[in-house]
Amino acid sequence: MGLIEEISEFLQKGRSKKIKELVQKALDENMDPKVILNEGLLSGMMIVGAKFKNNEVFVPEVLVAARAMNAGLALLEPKLAEVGNEPVGRAVIGTVQGDLHDIGKNLVGMMFKGAGFEVCDMGVDVGADAFIDRAEELGADVIGMSALLSTTMPQMQECIQRLEERGLREKYIVMIGGAPVTEDFAKEIGADYYTPDAASAAETARNAVMERKSA
Amino acid sequence: MKKITEFQIRISPDSVCSMLNADRSLLADEMREELEEMLSEAYERLEPAAYLGFGDTEGFLYGEDQLPGQEALYVICTVGERLSSWSSELFRQGDCVRAMLADAAADNCLFQLDGQLREQISALCREHGRGIRRRLEAPQDAPMRIQKKALDVTGAAQYGIGITEGFMYRPVKSVCQVYLLSENPEENNSEHDCSRCPNTSCRMRRSPGDVTEPSVTVITGEGQRTLPFVRGKIILEILRENGIYIAALCSGRGTCGKCRIRVTEGTLPVAAEDRLFFEEAELEAGFRLACTAFPEGACTVLIPDLAEEKEFYVPDIGGKETAADWPDRTQEGKGSEEAALKRDGRAAACEAAPGRGGGVNAGEYGIAVDIGTTTVAMQLIDLRSGKIMKAHTALNIQRMYGADVIGRIEAAVKGSAGELKECIRQVLQSGVDSLTEGGHVPVSRMVIGANTAMVHLLMGYPCESLGIFPFRTYNIQRIETAWDSLSGQKGLSFPVRICPGVSAYIGGDITSGLYALGFHERERVSVLIDLGTNGEMAVGNRERILAASAAAGPAFEGGNLACGTGSIPGAVCHAAWKDGTLCVETIGGEEPTGICGTGILEIIACLLEAELMDETGRLEEPYASEGFPVDEQGRIRVFQKDIREIQLAKAAVRAGLETLLDEYGTAIDEVDEIFLAGGFGYELDIGRAEAVGLLPAGCAGRVRAAGNTCLKGAAAGLLDGESGKTLDYIAGLVREIPLSGNPKFSELYMEYMCFGEEE
Ligand code: B12
Repeated sequence: MGLIEEISEFLQKGRSKKIKELVQKALDENMDPKVILNEGLLSGMMIVGAKFKNNEVFVPEVLVAARAMNAGLALLEPKLAEVGNEPVGRAVIGTVQGDLHDIGKNLVGMMFKGAGFEVCDMGVDVGADAFIDRAEELGADVIGMSALLSTTMPQMQECIQRLEERGLREKYIVMIGGAPVTEDFAKEIGADYYTPDAASAAETARNAVMERKSA
Repeated sequence: MKKITEFQIRISPDSVCSMLNADRSLLADEMREELEEMLSEAYERLEPAAYLGFGDTEGFLYGEDQLPGQEALYVICTVGERLSSWSSELFRQGDCVRAMLADAAADNCLFQLDGQLREQISALCREHGRGIRRRLEAPQDAPMRIQKKALDVTGAAQYGIGITEGFMYRPVKSVCQVYLLSENPEENNSEHDCSRCPNTSCRMRRSPGDVTEPSVTVITGEGQRTLPFVRGKIILEILRENGIYIAALCSGRGTCGKCRIRVTEGTLPVAAEDRLFFEEAELEAGFRLACTAFPEGACTVLIPDLAEEKEFYVPDIGGKETAADWPDRTQEGKGSEEAALKRDGRAAACEAAPGRGGGVNAGEYGIAVDIGTTTVAMQLIDLRSGKIMKAHTALNIQRMYGADVIGRIEAAVKGSAGELKECIRQVLQSGVDSLTEGGHVPVSRMVIGANTAMVHLLMGYPCESLGIFPFRTYNIQRIETAWDSLSGQKGLSFPVRICPGVSAYIGGDITSGLYALGFHERERVSVLIDLGTNGEMAVGNRERILAASAAAGPAFEGGNLACGTGSIPGAVCHAAWKDGTLCVETIGGEEPTGICGTGILEIIACLLEAELMDETGRLEEPYASEGFPVDEQGRIRVFQKDIREIQLAKAAVRAGLETLLDEYGTAIDEVDEIFLAGGFGYELDIGRAEAVGLLPAGCAGRVRAAGNTCLKGAAAGLLDGESGKTLDYIAGLVREIPLSGNPKFSELYMEYMCFGEEE
């Protein structure tokens, strides 16, 4: 088995230590960091995500895989920057103003990374303009907002309104989610996508960005 | 407004793992291991608090709940900022596994807070003469802005609880409940009614029918009972609330391993603590600790029979001898003639003696009671002859709230005072029933001796100040009351006297003991030492008495020792070297089952003698690591930790004694008699006690095993018409020497930690 396949295998098993070793080895052997990332880490993560959707594995498996991926990424990131790797896309995510529930958002961030996104996690209680300012700064493709309270859901609408007011609405793919959020609500406020879980959120985002870039 | 920070939280690995669906995953064990590695940090981060306050609800409720003048109890609970933010920190570090575990663990704590508050909330409402109509949670039962109202009403903001524009609290692991009050104090709907919530896939969801279903079935030696199951409540709490006894010596902290139960139907998740006390096979057989068992659904549990509880020692208090035989008084001084009278069993003569036995009616009986922290001893005394007609001993079932007085005080302060009072009332009631054959024997009075905490719990006094420095008592005076008001039952009644105490830690039991031994009449200075958990001791004579409580802990009663046990058949009680091997003797000559207090002292003396242990108490290898085998099979061992326990206990007693003697301005050589109270004294080899430094050298010959001196005092008090005054007099004669913070004591304490002769 090649080193890259090995990385993918061990990632699926969630073996952080092994992943660190293997990624280091691959780097030492002067392998292309992009290949290590895409064909090793991300492909492994994709397989786990798919299995998760099919109920073949459960939350813990996804978590250990993501942790292993993070361990590998930590070694890989400086090299990726050196070679000027372009991520699939850039996403700014956060929990909206007034809301502090962050587990869902954290998982979304994790899955985005697993799908090859460069993620800027703004944390919780994030104001509408703060999302936009940061997205502008980074040249992001996606703004992902999480809200878990019905009282804070209007903040998502507020952000979309501000985008419109600032003439930036078309520039970004706006995604929303969180337990009380629904497809209907997304339509109502004019968000681009809603997904009920983090794995499909990442997949949807990836497809949407690729579509845009190829158009 | 009220702030509560005392909670007993045990993170349940099973619940945490199941929140992450780990139970279905192949990684279940791995998750559990990671969680267990995290637990100590989780507890360290946990800063639980609840804030409660009453307030109006004007404009905060949805239609049907809004009655005119509707009042509510607002409650905010939090696990604190450090535990709340842990998950986010771990996510930032990229460790999403631990992050999710941290999140679920914090939620688990939060739900336990909620569960544990339930009782206090009901109690608080009852205090206000109100019941609970309904429990609301925002936003489904009331608008989110009610969370702001709750913050204002409870004053939680001043303790650092913040609120966002969306009416969410910071720290995030905080929740709010609103209890609508009802005029009917009996009403208690403190469970959340989930039926109105739209989130039908919620893992916590309960249908209204579920509120009392499922149930916990409890099988005890006395039969079977079906109790309502409340989510978030541990089995121990459910048992306590329903008055079913189980020993919980560590007050339910999961450290003593005594509250064993066995689940026979349904399941109880295995807690980390269970793994400390049970083998895999036992776990599989369903053994659990009641204090860490969170039922997650219907289950049946078996409570071991009371008779199987081999933990306590019930000293023989006869039923044959004469109460008047007891007082171990000296022949000298004022006490002598009276003692002589009593010793002759001519208590009838007391009646004739002026001022003595004035109230004794012929043909009537009295009941003497010693309410100990562990056991309650009672005797039916013929008031004419002074004869003990009958004796009764029982376990103080308050033990399900903890072995020591501190545990009980804590429980009382946390809202279980009523239950504790009920426990002891039950024990007394069944004692009276048994002694009087169901009320057929006419009883004309009762005298009770008990330590201060026991008296407070019995009388239902507030205990708040009793457990914290400067340990103020609510009432320490002699109490004259009546049986009907104590027992709360109409019908049978007679006067009851409760011996006065001296302070929070020198109680009526000591006053009673000093009375029994006639300290107030002695010319020569004597010593009384009670080798129980509280380690009380007194030095003095008729002029003045100094007393102290050395808090020896339960080690001399076999507590806290790996193979420790009470003085029961099979307990190793003596040890000696024979041809290089350690030979032990057990109580009743039975197969050794454990080591009791005298046994451990003798073994330690042997180890010291053979130089297998040095003077600092360090065992030689390999014993330091594997323990020293006491029986042939090596099942019963003395571990390094046991020796440390005994060192602490004996140093406390010895240092206490020396401090008292020093304060008194006397020395052990000048002391007349040394009384050892409690069951321990009978078996103790004084030479050995001296060898390990528990007692000073040269005591032999003057040491007396005095038995249950508190009960003796109570019995003597029944026969003595002046006993009320005398007891008050003794209580006034005694001055407590505080040992905590006493530099002399601290210095000696360190000094006596070692073994061997220091002079
Ligand atoms: C855990 C939890 C909490 C925790 C907080 C944990 C945390 N750090 O975030 C605690 C117990 C503290 C809590 C408290 C409260 N909570 Co809460 N909480 C929940 C609960 C049970 C699960 C939320 C969660 O973490 N789920 C796990 C994650 C992984 O799921 P998720 O957040 O939904 O995210 C997934 C998807 O939604 C999606 N997603 C999420 N974000 C995004 C973003 C994008 C862009 C996309 C595409 C997808 C996406 O992907 C995620 C992963 O699959 C929900 C109920 C529920 N079943 O959702 C209630 C819930 C969110 N809480 C609720 C409420 C009301 C409260 C309280 C106000 C209750 C109270 N009365 O005190 C308090 C407020 C706390 C405060 N501080 O003031 C309500 C909100 C109801 C409403 N309609 O507004 C809910 C829905 C429960 C309910 N039905 O009552 N809560």
